[in-house]
Amino acid sequence: MARSKREQLAGLLLLLCALLTPTLSLADDAGLVATIEASHKFSKKLNAGFEAEFRSRNNFRTADRVGLGADVSYKLLPWLKASAGYTLLIDNNREKITYQDDGVSYNNWRPSYWGLRHRFNVSLTASYKVKRVELSLRERWQYTYRPSKTIDNFDFDEAMWEDHLVHAKGKNVLRSRLQAEWDIPKCKFDPFASVEFHTTRELEKTRFIVGVSHSVKKKHEFKVYYRYQVTGSSSDEPNIHMLGLGYNYKF
Amino acid sequence: MKRLHYIVLASLAAIAMTSCVSDDTDMDDIIAEYLEEPATIELDFSALTEPTDVPVTDEDDPAYNDYVENTSWSKVININFSGDAVSITGTVPGVTVQADGDHVTVLNMSGPVKFVVSGFTSDGSLKFYGDKRFQVLLNGADITNPNGAAINNQGSKTMYVVLAEGTVNHLQDGADYVMVDEEDQKAALFSEGQIILSGKGKLEVLAVGRGGIRSDDYIRIRPGVQLYIESSALDGLRANDGIIIDGGAINVETKGLGAKGVRSEGAMQINGGRLVAISHGDCRIGATEDGDADTTACAALVCDTLLTVNGGDIRLKATGDGGKGLNAKQDVSILGGSFQAVATGTKEDKKPKGVKVDGSFAIGGGYFYTYSRRSDPLEVSGTTTVATGYHTYKKTAKALVIAY
Repeated sequence: MARSKREQLAGLLLLLCALLTPTLSLADDAGLVATIEASHKFSKKLNAGFEAEFRSRNNFRTADRVGLGADVSYKLLPWLKASAGYTLLIDNNREKITYQDDGVSYNNWRPSYWGLRHRFNVSLTASYKVKRVELSLRERWQYTYRPSKTIDNFDFDEAMWEDHLVHAKGKNVLRSRLQAEWDIPKCKFDPFASVEFHTTRELEKTRFIVGVSHSVKKKHEFKVYYRYQVTGSSSDEPNIHMLGLGYNYKF
Repeated sequence: MKRLHYIVLASLAAIAMTSCVSDDTDMDDIIAEYLEEPATIELDFSALTEPTDVPVTDEDDPAYNDYVENTSWSKVININFSGDAVSITGTVPGVTVQADGDHVTVLNMSGPVKFVVSGFTSDGSLKFYGDKRFQVLLNGADITNPNGAAINNQGSKTMYVVLAEGTVNHLQDGADYVMVDEEDQKAALFSEGQIILSGKGKLEVLAVGRGGIRSDDYIRIRPGVQLYIESSALDGLRANDGIIIDGGAINVETKGLGAKGVRSEGAMQINGGRLVAISHGDCRIGATEDGDADTTACAALVCDTLLTVNGGDIRLKATGDGGKGLNAKQDVSILGGSFQAVATGTKEDKKPKGVKVDGSFAIGGGYFYTYSRRSDPLEVSGTTTVATGYHTYKKTAKALVIAY
């Protein structure tokens, strides 16, 4: 790709950010997910990497999460890969407001707060190539542990600030992702699309992703994608449109 | 390639740096309202300057007989307690005075008689029989009855309780009342008939068994009276047929469960003076005759019928669970004076309210302030009428101020 075209791509990404914000549905939120990754191939079968992630919400205006993770993957078979990883999540938990029985008067207000979580995962990914399309199915078991934390809560009944203990909690999630990647001849952009289901005892989230990746000299990989996340009815979180930006340095 | 790196990294950094806006609801002003502290209401024993108390002279005026000055008190009996004995001087035909230790019983079949009471007794009392109005002039009296009321009027006529100028008088009941068949004794100072308090002395009433002052008729308090009632049992000041406060510096403090500082079962009228009533008790939880739970909250002031405030300085505070500053069962009309009611209690068994009115609420003058820490400051079941002409009307989450 010519230099001017690369610059045009970067400019296009920024333009997307600017254009997406005002066009989104009022009911849905919008945000950014940006990742920087460094990975190393120790052998044809073994790969390991580190990743830093940043997410925003509230129409790109509020930091939502910072994540730092490491993972290792191993090809068990030419079509089957196993991986395991750990991520330290630093979340900006959304505020929570509860109301009195009349539905109007405030009962409690817990402001947003930053908290830690530890996430472990193991995955199995099966791939199958049909002509220039690679289909893959990833099944991931994910366990997230949230340590207890004391935070502020305003009790409108008592008219006072009080300490509120957020109890430690562990959560198991099964994430199932079906993905398709296209290898278009003579094109340096590889489109991909996926759908992913997050399931506990019920379907909690569904993510739809479409995007393109672009590799430069097999060392640098850039990704830009659109992700629409639909949350289950039991969640307080709104559905969210996300612009995804990723950079992976392979060494 | 490097240039592209810089552009991408700079873009990410720029987006991250602009993501620093909180998405919390702006609660600052709302919480500031909720954290508002109430007006300070404490017992006030400071001197009170009052306008001259002019007795009613029109014999047709219903209040005529409430003025002790309108009666001739030529018949006088002196009762003096001296710790272990009581001396009774003066005789009036038709009046029998008997003493059993320091427990004095009077049978008054004569006309108006003035009983001048003084001295100290830790185990004594005064009990009056007879359907004639009479005057008790407390002239430095300190009477404690461990087994009942310190002063008990079983007659249905007016008992004028006059506080001799400059004197300090003390009445106290006991924890265990010994009852007499077919006789009531509901408070340290009890009367079946009206109680008219006047004079320029001090009266302290300590109630540990039942109420402080109670009449099965009505009570009138006149300017000059300095009254302090402390009750750790039942209501501080209570009357069946109404309470009229024309003046006086009145402090009432109750600590019993469900106790009321002041309770008027009849119409109540406040025309002047300073009334500070503070109720500290939590709810009293009992059972009805049907066995249902019956929860009674405390209140600084309860009025079962019409409450009219024409003047005076009224300060009410309830600190216990579910306590009300004012709990009015019917209508309230505020036409003048200063009225402040504060509720700072919790709401476990009952909801605390600065002012709760089951009927209608009308204000047309004076200063009105109400505050409730854990619920609406003013709750009116009927209509609320605020006459025009006020210079301040301020309502927050916890307080309401109306001033003319």
